[in-house]
Amino acid sequence: MSTLAVARLEWRRLLVRPLAWVLAALTLAWLGWNFTVLLGSFLAGQIQRAALPDGPGFTDLVAVPLLGQLAQLAFLVVPLLTMSAIAGERRSGTLPLLFAAGVPASRIVLGKYLALLGWLLLWLVLTLAMPLTLAHATDLDGGKLAAAALGLALMLAALAALGLACSGFASHPAIAAAAALILGLALWSVNLGAQMAGIDGGAINWLAMSTHVQPLLRGLVSSADLLWFALLIGLSLALATRHLSTERERG
Amino acid sequence: MTTIIPADPPPVLQLDRVTRRRAGRTAVRELSLSLARGQVLGLLGVNGAGKSTTLSMIAGALRPDSGAIKLNGEDFLERPELARTAIGWLPERAPLWPELNVVEHLDAHARLRGMRGAARHAARSAIIERLELQPLARRLAGVLSQGQRQRLGLACALVHRPALLVLDEPANALDPVQVAALRSLIREQAAAGTAVILSTHVLSEVTAVCDRVAILHEGALQHEGTVEAGDHAALERRFFEIAMNPRPAQAA
Repeated sequence: MSTLAVARLEWRRLLVRPLAWVLAALTLAWLGWNFTVLLGSFLAGQIQRAALPDGPGFTDLVAVPLLGQLAQLAFLVVPLLTMSAIAGERRSGTLPLLFAAGVPASRIVLGKYLALLGWLLLWLVLTLAMPLTLAHATDLDGGKLAAAALGLALMLAALAALGLACSGFASHPAIAAAAALILGLALWSVNLGAQMAGIDGGAINWLAMSTHVQPLLRGLVSSADLLWFALLIGLSLALATRHLSTERERG
Repeated sequence: MTTIIPADPPPVLQLDRVTRRRAGRTAVRELSLSLARGQVLGLLGVNGAGKSTTLSMIAGALRPDSGAIKLNGEDFLERPELARTAIGWLPERAPLWPELNVVEHLDAHARLRGMRGAARHAARSAIIERLELQPLARRLAGVLSQGQRQRLGLACALVHRPALLVLDEPANALDPVQVAALRSLIREQAAAGTAVILSTHVLSEVTAVCDRVAILHEGALQHEGTVEAGDHAALERRFFEIAMNPRPAQAA
């Protein structure tokens, strides 16, 4: 009950702040433009692809690349969206009001996370709506698109949890946003440096988010990848909860 | 035939040797207090005396380092969720969400305190009417004046009809008319059985609305007693005695 009350409060705050609307409008306009460009290229290359028996279709050339662009935008959008969730409350002095309402730290974190996740999933659904509008006229591969959408949803959920944890630790929303951006990018590409140094595979590859998102974008769903996301989300939320509990103890 | 004599209800609030360190010093030292239903306790002290820290602990926003706090006889430190329905808190400077309007604030507080549906709407409407917030109902908190913010903070503290009302300098930024209305509201709450604890710098505030007074200095309780009507001069004398020559406090 208190989780839902916190979620509703956070959702309401998201909806009335211009930042969420501006981010949604700008990114959806950008994605809409890119969808048009991708669709144009797809239509232009239709004759050449007709000669290939198992050539790439609408899903591979339009829908999944569009989701790939959403993934790139997410590295910037998610930190901007999550930065104020806890750090903003701390700064405006409203965090103690939540403590004093008898809401445990875990429910404060979970409530805020659910609200942020709701916004991000809505963003994903609106992006998905673009290729889905052409589903009746194209050979849309439903399974592959569902796997890619799941990958994106998990990536957004993981970045939101990471952003919320940064917001939980930071004293200022801008610091939270910068930390979430850097950590998100580092987590995505942690294996690239190792690969350039000639080290490939093993633990460093497992650590990288790209290792777990890319198979999903190709339509491959594996429980090991799902587990990686669950671990990252769980760890981030647990860290945020622990820090908030300590803050309540220490004042 | 045996007669069952009902036991006295426990105090609404009981502090037992509560201590709290903050910023490297003992902000509250071995503080013991109790407050019965319908009583109004004034907490006096110079800046840094430990009033706000005490009220934050009573409100559940801060945990003591040692000691016990009981709410209606139940261990508040073991069960912090008791704050949800039992306590209403107006912190100093009334923190608000600037992007939400007055009605949204009251709704959010009522929801956080577990109120649902029709009960929440009724409580919200009642407190808006009681604190005359109708003209501000759709105004964003970020554009309210300091006095209006204080009134909204008070409304948020009262919306769920708590058994204990904790007010940290509630008359801050209020004009004389609003101060008179605040005093009347506090007495009205006490008459309805709510226990009220308020911190203030204004001695006349205490003599006007409080039944009892506690004076803190450097985190320690230096004086506790009843407030008699018209003993403003005596209270002022006592306050300055303590502020100038406090009893030595034990080292923490």
